[in-house]
Order: sequence, then structure tokens, then C-alpha cells
Amino acid sequence: MNMKQTGRASRSLLRISMAEGLQYRASAISGVFVSVFWGILECVLFTVFFTYGDNAWNNNGLSLKQTISYVWLGQALFLFQRMSIDGELMDKINNGNVGIDLCRPLDLYTHWFVKSSAGKLGTSWIRSAATVLAGLLMPAGYALGAPSSLQGFLSFLLSVAMAFILCSAFAMLVTAIRLNVTWGDGPTYMLLLLSGILSGTYLPLRLWPDELQTFLYLQPFGGFADIPIQLYVGSMAPAAALPGMGLQLLWSLVFVLGGRWIMNRKLQTIIVQGG
Amino acid sequence: MISEAKIYGKYLRMHLLSGMEYKGWWLMLIQVFVVVVTDPISTVLLFSRFGNIGEWTVAHIILVYALAVASFGLAESLCRGFDYFPWQLLRTGEFDRLLLRPRSLFVQVAASRFHLHRLVRPATGIGAVLWALRELEVPLTPLNALILGLALAGGCIMYCGVFVLTSGVAFFTVKGLDWIYLFTNASYQVTRVPEPYMPRALKSMFSFVLPMLFISFYPAATVCGWGYPAWLGYLALPAGAAFLGFSLIIWRIGVRHYKSTGS
Repeated sequence: MNMKQTGRASRSLLRISMAEGLQYRASAISGVFVSVFWGILECVLFTVFFTYGDNAWNNNGLSLKQTISYVWLGQALFLFQRMSIDGELMDKINNGNVGIDLCRPLDLYTHWFVKSSAGKLGTSWIRSAATVLAGLLMPAGYALGAPSSLQGFLSFLLSVAMAFILCSAFAMLVTAIRLNVTWGDGPTYMLLLLSGILSGTYLPLRLWPDELQTFLYLQPFGGFADIPIQLYVGSMAPAAALPGMGLQLLWSLVFVLGGRWIMNRKLQTIIVQGG
Repeated sequence: MISEAKIYGKYLRMHLLSGMEYKGWWLMLIQVFVVVVTDPISTVLLFSRFGNIGEWTVAHIILVYALAVASFGLAESLCRGFDYFPWQLLRTGEFDRLLLRPRSLFVQVAASRFHLHRLVRPATGIGAVLWALRELEVPLTPLNALILGLALAGGCIMYCGVFVLTSGVAFFTVKGLDWIYLFTNASYQVTRVPEPYMPRALKSMFSFVLPMLFISFYPAATVCGWGYPAWLGYLALPAGAAFLGFSLIIWRIGVRHYKSTGS
């Protein structure tokens, strides 16, 4: 495959998706409402538990203020996660247009990776930014706080970029699995649900039971949201940034290699559906 | 009226049978079950870390939450067509065909979809309600069963109202309906917050705009005797009906306004 050509095509795909995402402003605005409502609800819930809970001291090193910041950033980063496989790719798998994409002089994995991640970025960045802005403008008790340190903030930014790559790599792994048309949506859906629960956007991973903490740190999905956010709020020291990001990088590699392997194996025996 | 009910039944039967033609239809049942069960996981984990909130235990929250979820699930099963309406019927212009038939529009749209796996949500919800009642040591007397039944009926009607409202608004906007998520899947998350600790703005919004507390919290309070006026527990049905009535007005206006879309 010609890598240079693939690279050029990828850049164009990214530009198209960004322009497309900007078209649906009404949809983005109503999406922000949902994120903000959800964020407020979580803030209320955490405030109740941190203030009135019988064991309110048992917060595992995550204060209420940090948790509130966690909620807002979690809402913003949640948008990087896939709830389902990219609609366009899904159509291609179902109606047999995989065949057409295979004819293009591009590497299929890279092509789809860029296509799905660009599509995600194009639609989600406005919503993410608006959610963070709303979090900053909340009344004092529910507002997104400042980062714990400059160093923490910088490693947060770097870690967010890695989180996006990790999310995309995982989505591609799931898409590759979905190439087994006969399995239907079940397995892929379960995988996406599992990743969502373990990413920390359901509940900050530090508030999960203590016995699970080591596992929660090492599992791949913490890199979706938990690691960057912990770096921001400071419950993870800047010194821990390097191992955290190493973990994100490691799992991204595993997902990319796994996705490529499954896809290549599947493509050797692919049955093109439809006609 | 009877002929409309018959048509509704026939529609459901048709969708059920066509759904069962797929070999893996029962897989979806498991999938929905997993989704429903994992949804309140964060609440349960929070309780296990922070302990009870005053008198509020996991069972209290699960009772209120499960009532809301079960009524949402019922509405989703019985009125599924309205949920799909903006996307499947309106934008494609297929709605024109329904208008030509001399039968109730409401029944035709409501029954235009039915999925068996949607029933998993109410079934799980009702199971959770029963578990919570046992945990709270509240007997299921006929009166209590009646109150809970009324709450489910009222909740189902209220959520049908939400779906009808979405469809009514869709006549004007056609796209950009994501905000309706606030009234559907996000709305019952409110019940995770114990009512006495709920901020006033949230409480009024979910009592008077969307009568969420009337179909979940107050019936539960009456059944378990949490010291709220007992008559509040009986208001589920009228509150739900009022919301549906309002939605039907919007729907009517929408249908009048409709000038066909698509090709």
C-alpha cells in the first residue's frame, strides 16, 4: 500500500468531516443541553453523598470539589466514546460496500480509522467545548475548578489527545469484530457498553470498591477518561503522568494491532453482502 | 373504539411474529437486560462507598428508580411507534399513507413499531420494585398493589405523552430533536437523588413540567409510609393523563400544520 497516498486521503477525509460537523449546529446545541443537564444531576448526586453520607470520609482521596470537576470533564470526554459503530461504516458492512472500499488504493484499516475518528471529532468537539464552558460558568458549588497545577494541566492536554486515539483504536477493534456479519450487533454492543462503564464516566474509578483499584488502573478503558481527568484534578500526581500515558499508549498499540489482525484475517474470507 | 383496539392488537401480533423470524431474537433480550441492570450500578457503588444517607438506603432509591424505569419501559413497548415517528415516518413521507386510512392516526402510529425486547425493561423494573419492597419489609397488600399499579399506569401514560410530544414537535423542526433525551432516558435518572435533598428547581421541574415525582416518588412514599400526605400517592394517573393531554394538543396542531415531506 502507498502510505503517502493514504496519508493525503486521510487529511481530506478529516477536513470533510469537520466541515460536516459544523453544519449541524442545532443538533450540537441540543446535545449540549443534554450533557449539561446530566452534569448538573451528577453534581447534585455527588454533593448529597459527600455531604450527608454516613461514611462521607471514605472518599479515597477524591474530594467533592475534585469530583465536581471530574463530572464536567467526564461529560466532555464522554463524547469521544462510541455508543455504536460509525453509521457509515456500519452501512458499508451491511450492504456490501466493503467491496468498493477494498478496491480503493488505500489501506482499509487506516482509511476507516481516519474516517471514523474524523467523523467523531467533527461532531463532538463543539459539544465538548461547550460543555466545558458551561461547567466553568456554573454557580460556585457546581463549577468546574481550575487544574491542580500547570504541570498537571499540560499532562492533561497530552493525555486527552492520547485518550482520543485510544477510543478510536478501540472503536476500530469493535468494527473489525463486527465484520462477522452473522453475529449481529450483540457482541459489539456489549463491548462498547463495558468500555463505557469502566471508563470512569459512569462513576469516577476512584470511588469504585477499594479491592478493584489495581485492576481499574491497569485495564484499558481507564485511559478513555479517567487518567486524563485525574491528572487535571490532581488526584493523580504529575509524576504519575508518564506511567499513565504509557498505559494509554500501550493499550492503543494493542487495540490497533489486534484490530488490524482481526480485519486482515476476516478480509481473506469476507463474504460481500448484497448486490 | 373496539375496532381500534383490535387493529392495535393485530399490529402488535404482526410485529411480534415478524421479529421472531430472526434466529437470534432472544439475544436482544439478554442485551437489553444487561443494559437495564448496569444502569443503576453507579448508585449502588456510591452507597457501598459512602453508606446510607440518613434514612435513605439502596432499597429506597431502587424502589423509586425502578418505578420510573418500569413505566418508561412500558411506554416504550406500547408506544414505540411514536418514538420512531420523526425518523421513520415523517422524514420519509410515509406518514401520508397513514393519513389516507380511515382509522385512528394515534393507533396507527403507536403500533407502527413493536419490539419484544423492549418489554425486558418493565419486567426488570417490576422485579426490582418487588425486591425493594421485600428489603424495606413493606407487605404487598391489595391497596399497596393498587397504588403501585396506578403509578405504573400513570407513568406509562406520561411517557407516552413524551413520545407523542416529540412527534408533535417534529412536524415543525424535522431535525435536531436530541433535547428530547432530557425527557426520556435522562429523566428517570433524577430519581437517583433522594427527594428531601433535591434542589428546589429540580424538584419543581420534575413535578410540574414533567410529573416525574408523582409517578415514582409519591406513590412509593405512600406505600412505604415515609410521612408524606397519602393522597399525593394517588395522583399518578391524573398527572400522567394531564401531560398526555397537553402532548395530544401539540400533536393535533402538528398534524394540521403538516404539508408532507420526502418523496
